[in-house]
Parts: sequence; structure tokens; C-alpha cells
Amino acid sequence: MNIGSLISALPGAIAQGLIWGVMAIGVYLTYKVLDIADLTVDGTMATGGAVCVMMMLNGANLWVALLCAVLAGMIAGLVTGIFHTAMGIPAILAGILTQLSLYSINLAIMGFKANQGINVRNYHLLVSSRNVKVIGPQNPIFVMIIVTALLIGVLYWFFGREIGAALRATGSNEHMSRAQGINVNRCKIIGLMISNGIVALASALFAQYQGAVDVNMGRGGIVIGLAAVIISTVLFGKIFHNFAMKLLGVSLGAVIYYIVIQIVLWLGLNTNLLKLLSALVVAIFLAIPYWKGKLAKGAKNA
Amino acid sequence: MKTIKKITCIALVLLIAVSAVFAGGSSESSAKKTYKVGICQFVQHVALDSATQGFMDALKDALGDSVVFDNQNASGDMSTVTTIVNSLVSNKVDLILANATPPLQVAAAATGDIPILGTSVTDYETALDLKLNNGATGINISGASDLAPLDKQAQMIVELFPGVKNVGLLYCSAEPNSVYQINQMETYLMQMGIKSTRYAFTDSNDVASVTEAACKSADVLYIPTDNTAASCTEAIRNVIEPAKVPVVAGEEGICKGCGVATLTISYYDLGYTTGKMAVEVLKNGADISKMPIQYAANPIKKYNAELCSLLGVKIPSDYTAI
Amino acid sequence: MLDLINIQKTFNPNTINEKVALNRVSLHLDDGDFVTMIGGNGAGKSTLLNAIAGVWQVDSGKIIIDGNDITGLSEHKRAPWLGRVFQDPMMGTAATMQIIENLALAKRRGQKRGLKPGVTKAEKDEYRDLLATLGLGLENRITEKVGLLSGGQRQALTLLMATLNKPKLLMLDEHTAALDPRTAEKVLTLSDQIVKENHLMTMMVTHNMKDAIRFGNRLIMMNDGKIILDIRGEEKKNLTVKALMDEFARASGEEITSDKALLS
Repeated sequence: MNIGSLISALPGAIAQGLIWGVMAIGVYLTYKVLDIADLTVDGTMATGGAVCVMMMLNGANLWVALLCAVLAGMIAGLVTGIFHTAMGIPAILAGILTQLSLYSINLAIMGFKANQGINVRNYHLLVSSRNVKVIGPQNPIFVMIIVTALLIGVLYWFFGREIGAALRATGSNEHMSRAQGINVNRCKIIGLMISNGIVALASALFAQYQGAVDVNMGRGGIVIGLAAVIISTVLFGKIFHNFAMKLLGVSLGAVIYYIVIQIVLWLGLNTNLLKLLSALVVAIFLAIPYWKGKLAKGAKNA
Repeated sequence: MKTIKKITCIALVLLIAVSAVFAGGSSESSAKKTYKVGICQFVQHVALDSATQGFMDALKDALGDSVVFDNQNASGDMSTVTTIVNSLVSNKVDLILANATPPLQVAAAATGDIPILGTSVTDYETALDLKLNNGATGINISGASDLAPLDKQAQMIVELFPGVKNVGLLYCSAEPNSVYQINQMETYLMQMGIKSTRYAFTDSNDVASVTEAACKSADVLYIPTDNTAASCTEAIRNVIEPAKVPVVAGEEGICKGCGVATLTISYYDLGYTTGKMAVEVLKNGADISKMPIQYAANPIKKYNAELCSLLGVKIPSDYTAI
Repeated sequence: MLDLINIQKTFNPNTINEKVALNRVSLHLDDGDFVTMIGGNGAGKSTLLNAIAGVWQVDSGKIIIDGNDITGLSEHKRAPWLGRVFQDPMMGTAATMQIIENLALAKRRGQKRGLKPGVTKAEKDEYRDLLATLGLGLENRITEKVGLLSGGQRQALTLLMATLNKPKLLMLDEHTAALDPRTAEKVLTLSDQIVKENHLMTMMVTHNMKDAIRFGNRLIMMNDGKIILDIRGEEKKNLTVKALMDEFARASGEEITSDKALLS
């Protein structure tokens, strides 16, 4: 167990973390800004990849495929939004229903094959795990830093607009938003569409990175997204106040999550216990502010 | 003071970043070469476990102490597969065993140099999005396929059940290998003039209800080498036994649990075959890009005595009891 | 002008909990009327405000503001005509957004919200001046998140937000009930000042009989979903709390047992 092997594995962990960081930003938008627990993402996290890979295998241009992946995600968000607002289904259930439907839809997009590879040799991929140690613009870390920065920039601009403010108001105080003439149902739908569009983008990038799309690749995605959000809240909550910085914190949260997973692996711990360990990591992160508070109280009373 | 802290932090981060890019596993320069072999197994499962064991045994038999394994299990999670492969590749292992399709794909994406051997993978062409040339990939990948001859399995169904009217094809839609086998099976049965219907479940939650539906219209069921079915044989048996619908299984584990007969390959043997390929690459310097995909040798006809007697199925003499 | 014509609302119809909250209520308000509304708990005062605001649909009847029939409109579609301040100080503002963003939201009530900036530079100065009139020092904290303010400050802000666009009808629903006496007095005085300056048609629900007499040009008492008293002009100016209680007993045939009414 030498530290060199851990350090050499870091670039891969960071690249993977940055890609999931994009997904976590999508989760942050619904979970923290709109105050909706959106489980659609487990499905959308496979849809984006399915659309992107199948289109590229059929000759589509990389950027067109990515755009279509985002649009597919937005449609998924729209469906959940309609379930929730027009059909009165509670948000969590609405998300689950869409996620369930997406399984069949994703399978159909992939031509009813559960798994489809995409070869980095044959296609121009935006990111690939092949280049994780390359010094140059093809390095996925470099690409993802740019993608993340662009995404944060666009979101920061958008949420400063009138409509962005309306979305934030909806998430903060629905009652007051209605009193201010805001169509909260429409805002929720827009929020879900943006969020799932971003998750689909992450999915398309991840499929390229790992060289395949698998119908189950999104399973458990919401947990990773929430873990990243929680880690960033605990670690950066006190220092990042600006919205753009908060989004950056979420991306860093995902990177930290994957670095921790890499450390677990490096420690030689049984990977069968990986899921248990991930849960423990998140639990500890959640407990830190609580313990801190208790310690402070204890010191006061002593 | 604050500035010095800042500068130290930045310097530290840069140092780690640089070493991360250039560092690798430690290289041995001693005369006796130790081979580092990384294993990424997709999920815990009897067949996959046997394959891994067979692989390790083959290498140990040939290379003894000079082989060291890094054996990791991804617990069925795609992103864990990526993390494991990243670990193996960044440590510059000498060879990677990818046990099942997702590890094979992720490893193929991550490295074009380190030799990768696949095992328990049925269809290499789809998995890797390439065309085999004389059975070889032409790149740093080869391996063994667990494809039991499906045409012989179709013949087995007809042999045991000559009057069969409708064969129910039961499988998990999320497993690419199963889908592949079902497609082939359908074709072979059709060539023999036998009707077949597909019954797909999405995961272990709807196995029972889909099996029920299958038993209503099919007189015989066929289950390929499906990982999900293999972990739900009890549930399947609870449906087919009272319904008196016999199951022909794609591998021994499933047959033991709920089937009457199987044309089985031994996953242990498959792993062992893959291990021997690894020895060729590591010790004898074989060119992996020219090594053709190997298939399971000697499939054996086996039957489950208990279920055969319960369902009244007559077994020819050339079958072996499980 | 506000016209309420035979507003009827029953909650939980055909069940054990059935309650006729509004019983064929009709009311006409002229421009500039400042109406105070009193009555026991469950009399229908807040219910009437909620009916006008569109929180839910009435069973029958019409609501007409300045000739516009808003009866069928959803809550957010009615908002352009209305300004509302709620009893709960937390309800009127978005805690996670800045003071200035809250004001900007209110300013756009009734307008289409698009891709223009949420808060413009010109607005910042306008809001600073506006906040200064409150005398609470908020003009120096415009980028702070509203969640950091006290209940009284949030209520004052909500009042500003409600009156920013000079709404056709201002609805104050026991808006000082949750505040301490000193802050309540401040907010009440402020409300009165804003209403007078802008000649706003206003409905103010209160449990405090003294305040009901002190403010406004008209007083309405409700009981059991009906309006049982409507006093205006000179008669209202000369009202005393005791006189009011006697009127109530006469009109409803019961004694008022509300502690709040007695103790105020």
C-alpha cells in the first residue's frame, strides 16, 4: 500500500467526480433551489447516454448528439412536471413514475439491447477515460473543468433573470410566489426540465467516458447526487455564499466523493462493502455539523 | 503569514497534480519478474465467482508465486466499475481480467495498451463496437466467451420435448448477454419450425409475475445464462412446479435451482481457459491482438433428477445427473 | 371598486365536518374605502379574504374588481389586482432571497417574467429610498437574505411589497397579530400611512376592537359566515368598544366570548 498508487489513481477519480458533479448540479437545482425531491434522475442518468451513443453510432455529429441528449432529459423533466402539477401526483411519486417509464424507453432507444459500447478509436468523443493522464486539451479533467465553468456561468446568468428569480421564489415560498402572480406550476416544470437536461448531459458525458451505455447506469444516481450536495453543504456551506460558488461547491463535493471511494479501494477494503461504506461516508458528513454544535455547547457548559 | 499558507497550499496541490499524472505503480527491475494482474468482476454471482477462481488457478498453476492479484468486485454498480478500472490502469498492472461486459467496456475505454482479457462475456462485437477478424479484435483485447452452442440447446429442447408447441423464452431485459442468446434461440427454434414467445422481466422484482404469465401460454420454458434469473431460481421454481412447466436452462446453476436439463459449460473451466490465455500473454509474450476469442469447450448435457421426476420428464441415457 | 355578490363557500360538504364558512355574503367597496373587519373565531373574516384572493374557488357567487369578473381566475392570475399581507410574518417573503430581490419580485407582479435582469441598477436606488421610509435601517442591508430579518421587519417588507404597485385592493389579514405590541403599533401606523398616501381600497382583518375603530372609514362585523354589521362615516368615528359589543349581541343574539375582543 504505497501512497504513490493512490496519487496515480487520483486523475481518474477527479475526472469521474467532475462528470458526476454536473449531475449533482442538476440534483442541487431541484433539491435545494426548487425544494423538490426528484427521483427522475435515476432514469435520466441513462437516457442521456442512450440518446447520445445511439445517435453517434448512427453517424450523428458529437455536438448534435449531446444537444439531443439534453433535450431528451428536458422532456423527461417535463413529464415529471406534468405528473406533479397537472395530475396532482406528489413530487416523489411523479419522479418514480417517470423513472420507471424511462427504463422501457431507454431500452427502446438502445434498440432493445441493454448495453451498447462506443469505441474511442472510432468516434470523436468529448471525454474518454483513455486520456486521463494525457497532458493536453483532450484530458477529460481539462474538458470537464471547462464544461463545469460554462454550466455554472449559464446557470448563474439564468437564475439572475426575472424568470430565474421566479423559480427561486417558488422553491423558497410557494404561497408568497402565488400571491406575487407567479405561476408556480409552470416554474416547477421549467425547473424540472432544466435539472433533468443537465443530468442527461452528465449521462452523455459519462457514457463517452466509460465507453458504453448500459440501461442500468443511472441506478442509484440520486444517492450520489445527494451525497455530493450534502458534502458540499457541510464543507463549503459557511464559506460559499454566492450562487455560482455554491454550484462550484457541489461539483467539488462530487469530486471529493469519488476521491473517498478511490481511497476506500486503495485501502484494500472489500469492495463488496463499498455500498455500506458510501452510506457511512455520507452519514459522517451529515453528522459533522451536529457534533460540532454539541461540542460547542459542551465547552460552554464546562 | 496568510500568503505563505496560500502559496504552500497551491504548491502542494500542483505537486500532487504533477505526480498524479506521471506516477504509476512501482516498477520491478529485479531479475525475477512478478506479474501484477488486476481483476474487475462485475457482481457477486456463482458463475462469475467460478470464472474468477478458474482464472486465478490457471495463473497460479503456471506462474506460481510470481503472479500477484488485485481482485475487485463492483457490486453491480457501473460507476464503481469505472473507479476500479481507473485504479488498475493507473497502477499499470500487467494484465486486466474483465469479468462480464461492463468491466470489459470500461477497461477497453480506459486503456489501449494494457492487455485486457474478458471472461463471462457472450458477445464481444456488440460490447466493444468492433468487428472480429478471424475471431480476434486487432487491439489489446481478447478473452473467452461463455456462449454455449445455442443451436445444440435448441436441439436439446426438441429432443426432450418432441411435441412442444410454444417455447417460452424467459430472461432479464437489462442483460445484454441474455438478449443476445434469446435472439439466437428464437432464430434456431424458428428454423426447426417451433413457435417461441418472449417473456422479459426487468429485475428480480417481477420475475415471479412474468414467469406466471409465461407458464400460462408456454409448455416449455428456456432461460439463458441470465444473472438475474440465476439469483432467483427459488422464485421461478415456486411458479413452474405447481404449473408443471419444465425449464431448460442455459447453465448448471439455474438448472440446479429450477430446471430439468441444461447444456452446460463450466464457468470454472471458462475462467481456467482465460487464465491460460493470460499465461500466453504474460510469460510467452503472445500478441493479444491476434488471439482469437475462445469458446467454452465440451458442453455437457446434464439433468436435474428431482425436478425431472416431479414433472415427469424422461431423460435419455447420455445425460449426466447434476 | 370591489363587488362581492352572494359569495357561498362550504368546507367538507356532506361530511360530519361540514361548515358553511361564507353564507351568501354580499359587499360593495368604493375606491378609497378602508374597511376594518372584526368577528369571533371562525366568523369568516380570513375566509372572505382568501375567497377574494382565489386561494380556492367559491361554490357560487361573483367577485368583481373594477368591472373585472375575477371569480374563475386562479390565485396567481388574480394577483395583479391584489396586494396581500398575511398573519404569519414568514409567509409574505422569500427567506432565501435578498431584500432587494423580494421587492423586485413584487414589482413584477402582474407582468410577464422573462430573461430581463431580475433586479436592475435603477431599481436598487429606488428600493433603497423606499426602505429608508420604514425607518428600520433596512436600506443599508439590501443584499442580505430576508431570513435574517425579524418578524416585524419581514412584515414591514411584506407591506412594502404588497403596496409597491398600488394594487386595486389591499388585504391585511391580521397582519400584526404575531408581532410584539411595539412592533405591531409601528406596522399598523405604517399601514395606515401607506393606505392614506396612495388612497388604496383596503380590507383589514383584526381581532383588536380598538384598532378596528381607530383605523379606516368603515367597519364590518362578521359572524357565522355572514356580515351582521356595517358601520361607516360619523357613526363609526363615534363608536366605542362597549357600543360595539352591544351591537354584536343585538345583531347576533349571542354574547361575544372572545377573550381577545374583551381584553383589547
